[in-house]
Amino acid sequence: MLTCDTYLSPGSLNEALAAVAASAGHFRFVAGATDLLPWAREGRAGDVHVPLMIDIAGVPELKAIKVQGNRLWLGAATPFQRFLDRTDLIEAAPGMPDCAIWFADSQIRESATIGGNIINASPAADGIPPLLAANAIVELAALRDGGIRRRRMPLSEFLKGPGLTAAEHDEILLGVECDALPGYGGAFEKVGHRRSLVISVVCLSALVRMDASRRSFQDVRLAIGGVGPVAQRMTAIEERLKGQPVSAELLRDVMAVCDGFIKSRSRQDYRKQVTPGFLVRALAKAMKTAGANENACAIAEEVAHG
Amino acid sequence: MADLLSIEATINGRHVTKNADPSQRALDFLRDDLNMTGTKEGCGAGECGTCSIFVDGALVKSCLLPVAKLKGKTVDTVEGLAKSGEMSAVQKAFHKAGASQCGYCIPGMVMAATAALRLNPDADRDEIRERLGGNICRCTGYQKIFDAVEMARDFLNGKLSANAFDDLDQEEGKYIGVNVRRIDAPSKVTGALRYAGDMVLPGMLHVQVLRSPHPHARIMSIDTNDAEAVPGVEGIVTSADVPGQDGFGVFVADQPIMARDKVRYVGEQIAAVAAETLSAAREAIKKIKVEYELLPAIFDPDEAMAAGAPVVHDYAQDNLVKHIPIRNGDVEEGFAQSDVIVEQTYETQQVEHAYLETEAGLAYVDHDGVVTVHSPSQNITHHRHMLSRILNLPINKIRMIMSPVGGGFGGKEDMIYQGMLALLAMKTRRPVRLVFTREESIATTAKRHPSRTSYKMGLSKDGKIIAAQIRMVYDGGAYGMSTEGVIRKGAILGGGPYNIPHFQIDTYGVYTNNTPSGAFRAFGSLQSQFATESHLDLCAERLGMDPFELRLKNVMHTGDRTHTKHILNSCSMEQVLVAARDASRWEAGAPNVRGDTRSDLGGEGTRRPCTVTPRGPISAEAEPLKQRGAA
Repeated sequence: MLTCDTYLSPGSLNEALAAVAASAGHFRFVAGATDLLPWAREGRAGDVHVPLMIDIAGVPELKAIKVQGNRLWLGAATPFQRFLDRTDLIEAAPGMPDCAIWFADSQIRESATIGGNIINASPAADGIPPLLAANAIVELAALRDGGIRRRRMPLSEFLKGPGLTAAEHDEILLGVECDALPGYGGAFEKVGHRRSLVISVVCLSALVRMDASRRSFQDVRLAIGGVGPVAQRMTAIEERLKGQPVSAELLRDVMAVCDGFIKSRSRQDYRKQVTPGFLVRALAKAMKTAGANENACAIAEEVAHG
Repeated sequence: MADLLSIEATINGRHVTKNADPSQRALDFLRDDLNMTGTKEGCGAGECGTCSIFVDGALVKSCLLPVAKLKGKTVDTVEGLAKSGEMSAVQKAFHKAGASQCGYCIPGMVMAATAALRLNPDADRDEIRERLGGNICRCTGYQKIFDAVEMARDFLNGKLSANAFDDLDQEEGKYIGVNVRRIDAPSKVTGALRYAGDMVLPGMLHVQVLRSPHPHARIMSIDTNDAEAVPGVEGIVTSADVPGQDGFGVFVADQPIMARDKVRYVGEQIAAVAAETLSAAREAIKKIKVEYELLPAIFDPDEAMAAGAPVVHDYAQDNLVKHIPIRNGDVEEGFAQSDVIVEQTYETQQVEHAYLETEAGLAYVDHDGVVTVHSPSQNITHHRHMLSRILNLPINKIRMIMSPVGGGFGGKEDMIYQGMLALLAMKTRRPVRLVFTREESIATTAKRHPSRTSYKMGLSKDGKIIAAQIRMVYDGGAYGMSTEGVIRKGAILGGGPYNIPHFQIDTYGVYTNNTPSGAFRAFGSLQSQFATESHLDLCAERLGMDPFELRLKNVMHTGDRTHTKHILNSCSMEQVLVAARDASRWEAGAPNVRGDTRSDLGGEGTRRPCTVTPRGPISAEAEPLKQRGAA
């Protein structure tokens, strides 16, 4: 049971930071609340009393979604459902819709935010691999020396471990800036005990762009979660694929080197078994939506299901 | 003291302005402050979907929504669907399709179905499945629910006649073999039905329970002084408050209302507090001081039966709740006649009932001094008799009222909390209500008995079972509850529906310091069926015989006599086996001769693997969804 004395819903960043400044540090930020409320229950944190809750989901910068040229700004309070129903987002962030449809359930997707998913820093967070694949940079704001200090860093550096990030206690995650990737095909693979409301045992995001021949990979971005303390890019595999024509041999080659990414404490064998299949299935799907040539798609499909 | 939030919102079309405790969730605000209890709480963690509501048209889980997020919003709950008492198309379809059983998940299901059809009036069954993926049902197996959503969809799209929801084609006076309307369905699909946790009475106090952190410990002292001093606390009870002869159970009255002298499992109730608010009751619980002397604990039933094991109950020095031996024929002779002997050991684990409605109860002492308890009990008459003895009151001063059961499956047969509520009502002279949290329900209530079965079976070369010797050990946990009945059923049904000339079975119910085991659907026979059917597959493998053929050679028929001398007046097992074999397109052969090559996997009627792809936004040119949709 989570209790508080005061619940504020500031309408601006200044107001939010002023509330932080007045609180003597005894506060918590709230956005979607879908992780926070289950956390304060028996078996986890138990009954928790937080004197001040600061709901930042209404702060305009956190709600903003902007596509400018090849940059995409996703305010931290963007709910996952928007990746399924906003056409501008679907185009600019092709890695997100497949992730969103597997994320929790349709109701939680309306509340849960990408900022919360990042700050919660679960090793199995579904939202993180596609953001890593889009080279996301986080932006944070805090009051320092009488003014607002903003700072940025790559998401890959921001994530420090299970439940750990580089955010200081009074820093607000404003959002992430990503590569806008129209023309890329995206895919997301996930396995857990059931389809809805399930923590990923493995989740994998793929973004693919084909070259003019539509037979060769021009760019490939891959990220994997659930297999170690933090989600990670599969850079070695990306490098192996970039510029190469699609062939069964190439795909089987990269399937063979997945084991090195599995650094989990438990169920290593299972994860090693599913990851190569996820990799090639995600590539096949992403190639298809990226407009790869039929023959190339058929090769990938066959390796994926063969 | 909390700074109250002023909540202005439009709820089911009505403007509401109310001050709210900022710690509340939207769910609490609707249920406690507005008394709109159609929105249920099943888990409090966003997993079950019984609390789904619309906020500005989007379906969300109200247990994950701080009340502050309702400010300025338009909220629609299940109560708002049936405008002017006329049920919505979705609600009528749920009624017609028989989609509601216990009904506890149904308000949330109706809301999720409504949302699905508003978002896509043409959703197919797979899309309906995915859109309802955040809502759990434990009774229906979902098919009737999906049928109902499809029916509502077709009605709204004009593909069904205007009278599609009218009465079923039912012959006057005929009930068997025909679809019969559930008369309680309208109250469930509209959210009007009040379960025990939905009931309130003026002056009602909230109850919380202190539970044991230890599996086995002597209680040296209980100090409630600090807890009594918490503002709002009106009464605390422990086993010392029991006026009569303490002890309840279905077969043996071995369980005190609250732990007496010692605790026997983690989660056992020790004391209960009634207070003006839930948070005061929770605070008081933390202030009760209990001194324990830890005792060695026993967790394995076979070890518990060994000499020198820690004793759970003084009356049963061997830790045995009950032993049921049944003998028929001579197994040694049977084994001697057998060509093949197959031995194996099988284990099954604890299973939680996971009804969507957690345990809840409301108790009060009425104007005539009658101690009255409303609860979703599956056994009120028995509870009444036990409570009369425990409270030392004549039976006419005890009244047990069965509130709607939001799923039981056997898990609500034992009187595990009603006694505490009765004591608190008597002590405070006020109505008291307890609602278990989901975590409390899972951690402390009875489970399906874990079992260990040693099986020895002798067969002839041509597949006739000649002898079976079965030893089954059921872990009864810390208290007897239904264990005796469960192991008796295991012994009666242990050999399965097969003729076995020489048969011997021993079932044991054993005390341990595990969570008590109790009644659960199939009541002890599931464990033995699992062992028997697994074992027959092994025997088929050993004999190189088709597993259906092996079973058909041994199956009982009408007129056969069971090992308990029961003559079967009717037995349809052969027809059942043949029907199952044919429906599954079974490819004949021994279990171990086929693998990837078998031809009977896949094909028509086989569920495809679980996949889902984004559907893309619904086109803005489409008809306004709310007008077309289920409303």
